[in-house]
Amino acid sequence: MTTAGKSLPRRAFLRGLGGAAVALPLLDAMIPAFARAATTAQAPCRMAFIYVPNGIVMDLWSPKTEGEIARLPEQLPKILEPLARHRADFMVMSGLTQNGARALGDGPGDHGRAGANYLTAVHPRKTFGKDIQTGVSVDQIAARQIGSQTKFASLELGCEQGIQGGNCDNGYSCAYSNSISWRTVSTPNPPEVRPRAVFERLFGTAEVEPDPARRARQQKYDKSILDLVLDDANRLKVTLGGADRRKLDEYLHAIGEIEARIHSAEHGKTPVTPAIGTMPSGIPADFVEHSHLMFDLMTLAFQTNTTRIATMMMALEQSNRPYREIGVPESHHGLTHHRGDPEKIAKVAAINRFHVEQLAYLLDKLKSTSDGDGCLLDHVMLVYGSGLADGNRHDHHNLPTLLAGGGCGGIRPAGRHIQYANETPMANLFTTMLDKMGVPVEGFGDSSGKLGYLNNLA
Amino acid sequence: MPACNILVVSSWLGILASAQALDTVQAILAKHCQTCHNAKQKVADLDLTAPQQLPAVWTKVREKLSTGKMPPTGLAAPAKTEVASVLAWIDSLPNQPRVRAETGPGRVTARRLNRTEYNNTIRDLLGVHARPADDFPVDDSGYGFDNIGDVLTVSPMLMEKYVAAAKKVSRLAVYGDAYPAKPGVLTRLMARRSYDGGGLAGSSDYLPYSMRGALYGNYTFPVDAEYELRFRVMNLRDEERTAGSEGTRVRRPSLASLSPEERAARLRTIQQGLSADELKQSLEKARIAAPPLKLQLTVDGKTELTGVIEGTTTYGYDRGEFIARVPLKAGVHSFRASFPELAGIDDPRQHLNPDLRRKVFVDYLDVAGPFHPSAEPPASYRRLFVCGHARGQHQAACARKVVTDLARKAYRRPATSRETEGLERLEALVQKEGDSFEEAVRVALQAVLVSPQFLFRIERDPSPAEAARTVSDHELASRLSYFLWASMPDDELLRAADASTLRQPKVLEAQVRRMLADVRSRSLVDDFAEQWLQLRDLDRRRPAPERFPALDDELLDAMRRETHLFAETIFREDRSILDFLDAPFTYLNGILARHYGISGVKGEAFERVSLDGEQRSGVLTQGAILTVSSYPTRTSPVIRGKWVLENLLGTPPPPPPANVPVLEETKIGVSASLRQQLEQHRANPSCAVCHDQMDALGFALENYDAAGVWRTHDGKFAIDSAGVLPGGRSIAGSKELKQVLKERSDLFTRNVSEKLLTYALGRGLESYDGTVVDDIASQVSADHHKFSTLVLAIAKSKPFQMRSGVGGGEKP
Repeated sequence: MTTAGKSLPRRAFLRGLGGAAVALPLLDAMIPAFARAATTAQAPCRMAFIYVPNGIVMDLWSPKTEGEIARLPEQLPKILEPLARHRADFMVMSGLTQNGARALGDGPGDHGRAGANYLTAVHPRKTFGKDIQTGVSVDQIAARQIGSQTKFASLELGCEQGIQGGNCDNGYSCAYSNSISWRTVSTPNPPEVRPRAVFERLFGTAEVEPDPARRARQQKYDKSILDLVLDDANRLKVTLGGADRRKLDEYLHAIGEIEARIHSAEHGKTPVTPAIGTMPSGIPADFVEHSHLMFDLMTLAFQTNTTRIATMMMALEQSNRPYREIGVPESHHGLTHHRGDPEKIAKVAAINRFHVEQLAYLLDKLKSTSDGDGCLLDHVMLVYGSGLADGNRHDHHNLPTLLAGGGCGGIRPAGRHIQYANETPMANLFTTMLDKMGVPVEGFGDSSGKLGYLNNLA
Repeated sequence: MPACNILVVSSWLGILASAQALDTVQAILAKHCQTCHNAKQKVADLDLTAPQQLPAVWTKVREKLSTGKMPPTGLAAPAKTEVASVLAWIDSLPNQPRVRAETGPGRVTARRLNRTEYNNTIRDLLGVHARPADDFPVDDSGYGFDNIGDVLTVSPMLMEKYVAAAKKVSRLAVYGDAYPAKPGVLTRLMARRSYDGGGLAGSSDYLPYSMRGALYGNYTFPVDAEYELRFRVMNLRDEERTAGSEGTRVRRPSLASLSPEERAARLRTIQQGLSADELKQSLEKARIAAPPLKLQLTVDGKTELTGVIEGTTTYGYDRGEFIARVPLKAGVHSFRASFPELAGIDDPRQHLNPDLRRKVFVDYLDVAGPFHPSAEPPASYRRLFVCGHARGQHQAACARKVVTDLARKAYRRPATSRETEGLERLEALVQKEGDSFEEAVRVALQAVLVSPQFLFRIERDPSPAEAARTVSDHELASRLSYFLWASMPDDELLRAADASTLRQPKVLEAQVRRMLADVRSRSLVDDFAEQWLQLRDLDRRRPAPERFPALDDELLDAMRRETHLFAETIFREDRSILDFLDAPFTYLNGILARHYGISGVKGEAFERVSLDGEQRSGVLTQGAILTVSSYPTRTSPVIRGKWVLENLLGTPPPPPPANVPVLEETKIGVSASLRQQLEQHRANPSCAVCHDQMDALGFALENYDAAGVWRTHDGKFAIDSAGVLPGGRSIAGSKELKQVLKERSDLFTRNVSEKLLTYALGRGLESYDGTVVDDIASQVSADHHKFSTLVLAIAKSKPFQMRSGVGGGEKP
């Protein structure tokens, strides 16, 4: 069966950006900034989190090595094989635990908890009604601190549309498994799954007012409108109580972010908008196509310094997506409850490996994109993993975790497998990353300290 | 079972109840509750034999008992006097809230418009059909619905979309949609799977795939004008193909399937060898090679073109065939190009070639235009510029009039002078900068559309001295319009609110009945019923193509449509809501009737069909419901049982314990029947408690497969639709299941009342709403379960008419 949407020549529009000769575009307000495009002497540090659901077949993921720290074996475990060409640029971390995803007296619902807990390290409240609550996620903590330096504080991407429905997992709201990024304890940042929507969000639509005088007037109006509604909203807020006021706060925060963006655009911080070629307006049916587009966009956003923080959900937690393209017509989640059936385990492992193949594509892309004195991969901390280890047993310890990239604060993953002590909080990795990012925090989630072995392993 | 527990509670609390009352209560609990709610089984995490209980536990016990939700369906119900004595005892406990006493109306959190409401409101406010919210992120839902104020959040991304939508919509409303100055092809629409497997640049999302070769969908036309719908029909009836996947060309295309240019070229190369007669013969041979097939194009249900597909010739509009020129208003219109006779084939796979390509199909449809576009300003223009002056003739005094009228409609109440002054200042700024009056109004409109007063429905709080207040007439108008239309109040409703007459019982009832009769009340089907019956999960839970190869998008759409039409009939004809359980009619077209094995229904149009009630009647035997409550590859009596408990009776089972083993999928129907597998599963007593009930209800529907087709065998095993409910009553088949449900019409009525009240209020129900629901349900039961009685009872209820202050009524 061939699938519609496949033959679109969409690469044309992004490909140019890797090299020096960029097909550059006419642009809205930011034309003066164009001259200083993407190359600066001191490349900033970025962070990215890539989430895969339903756990991983750990036997085929964990490298067999001795001791706390060891070089990755010559023969990588089957699921990691697609990363062989990148072996010097990542490391596998074993022993990390998300205790907050465990039941802790709340009964079943490991998938819902795994999603909401993954980047927050906070045990989510069991509810599918109004009072959803978890923590602020690590990407958003960084975004609050440094997000104002770029056009977008953060970017949330995904390859599976969120589920609309109250109760997704044994009493846990779908909001928990739909989003790993949480702006506040009760406001998820749902991922955008449509490539074109992401592109237009980052770089604007093709509709650009060509007349500079008219463009300037429009910007003036936009600003006056924001001033007016902000004034109204602030006035309104003081008359409200309880939950109503919280809703207005969400509104005020969101509109404040837009105001800041207009401000930074006026001051020339937003460099370039790449030329838009043909992009599917809907969701590509082909997973490879879809995930590659999303990774292209993430790369582009980093390269143009449109944002420095990104999250990507390869699929929703508890995803039922079949992977027909690799001969797996069954539901992913259903398969992970394999009860030891070798045929099913093999299929889960095939899905796991398939996801890692897409990660390898992203690393290729980051490597081939120049940035500062090197390439993008030299200036990014990229975490890839799942909030479940064994999807059959719903384990939340020894989570499959991989760190790629380098540069930030001296991080150099360099082909190692590190066996941290059992039950080391995952939050320790996140606080360490925030340090490297230059935004240290105290007491994030259940963190108990910092992680060692991240620097200068070469 | 330790008998002393209740006594411990009572002595600990030191309450007044007599020892005799305690003995009675304890005996009733032991008889009716503690079989499951004991220390060992702890069903729903509840051990009623434990020595002490939190007050909240008794509140919950009270609610379950008083509403009949416990003991579960099938188990012997306690006598009324027994229930009464337990309730009286609970009420006498000192820490119990005075549940039955005066209760507050509850407090609804400011509701952000959800995606549907946003689209509808834009449509009704401006007459713009842009559906901008289709690009917004999916709304989260709570309590089963996506209009719950507490759950609807505003992320920065959503705010960006609001800002972008405000710009776009304001431009559309003032200047109309952009369209090419010269008519041309606006888009090419194709099905998800098509001839060459590829989509085309600039095309929008792909359309549903029809095995019968139809192409159907909607398109938004930019301006009042004439448009041409041009389409190509592929005809592969001569091609003998080996099995392969669609899109694999295994041999050279026949002469007749080529375009005129290609054919001319081919003919030139072979003409030397062919005489004119031979050529003519060969074309005639192609023409009669297959029987003629009728074709038709409808737009908004009206036939615009008919034709005949002959032989093995491919028809492209480039030869002048199949072009329909239709005058259309700006906005969304539906179209369908199809072969009506094919609705009558028993199995759509008869229409496939061996390589799975369709024998005849509409390959694509081009929308071309606009021809002779209207020079009139868009309808939205007149709505906005209420002074009625033509373009360029506006008067300065109108600036205020326009924004005052706009803000009143957009904010759903008279605007304050501060609000209108702010908008006027914007207008003045724009004009001072040298832009036109129209641009000034557009900018004001853009501001209105991002205002929190437009995006949220905010209700004024009672003054601190008041615990609760009656909502204002304008707030009530909005509550009514978003309940019944998922949209803003119309002029008539706003006028009734302006005149402060809306609260008069006669006016209120007349308005509700008017609104129910209005076409906009279809939102009760599209939004309420769809979510209540979980129809929105249908795409996500669609049957696996490996197991159900004859099921295409078109059939799935037909299933959804059946349930929509069915629900709409109950609402529109003001029938009994019990019809949802069992009604002697449904809606079918030829395609769905073939799927069900029901004869006598032909064609593609849906018609009302009488049912005998044996195999089909009520929602439970409709394809959409049977599919959505199944796995993609097989039925699940457990999911179906759970679906019945949750959505029909309102008594959901507690979540399963952790680490439950799953069924061996591959064995089902091969080495063991599904029933045998499930019974093994139930051998575990802590599973059995809930599964006895779920499974028996679900097994009664086993004669319908995972796509809703009637069956007597699953694999090699004969279907056994019998089951035993907890308490020993046995049921078999859907008819007896419906009988059991009808006997619990009290639970069903209460459940529908709860769901519709939740949807109407936009908040989850709390324990203090219990009496309100009881009251609504009893009004409905007393009036033949009429739907309008339910709607009116909700509209008149205290939580709908009133609002608590901060904390008031929230926690007892």
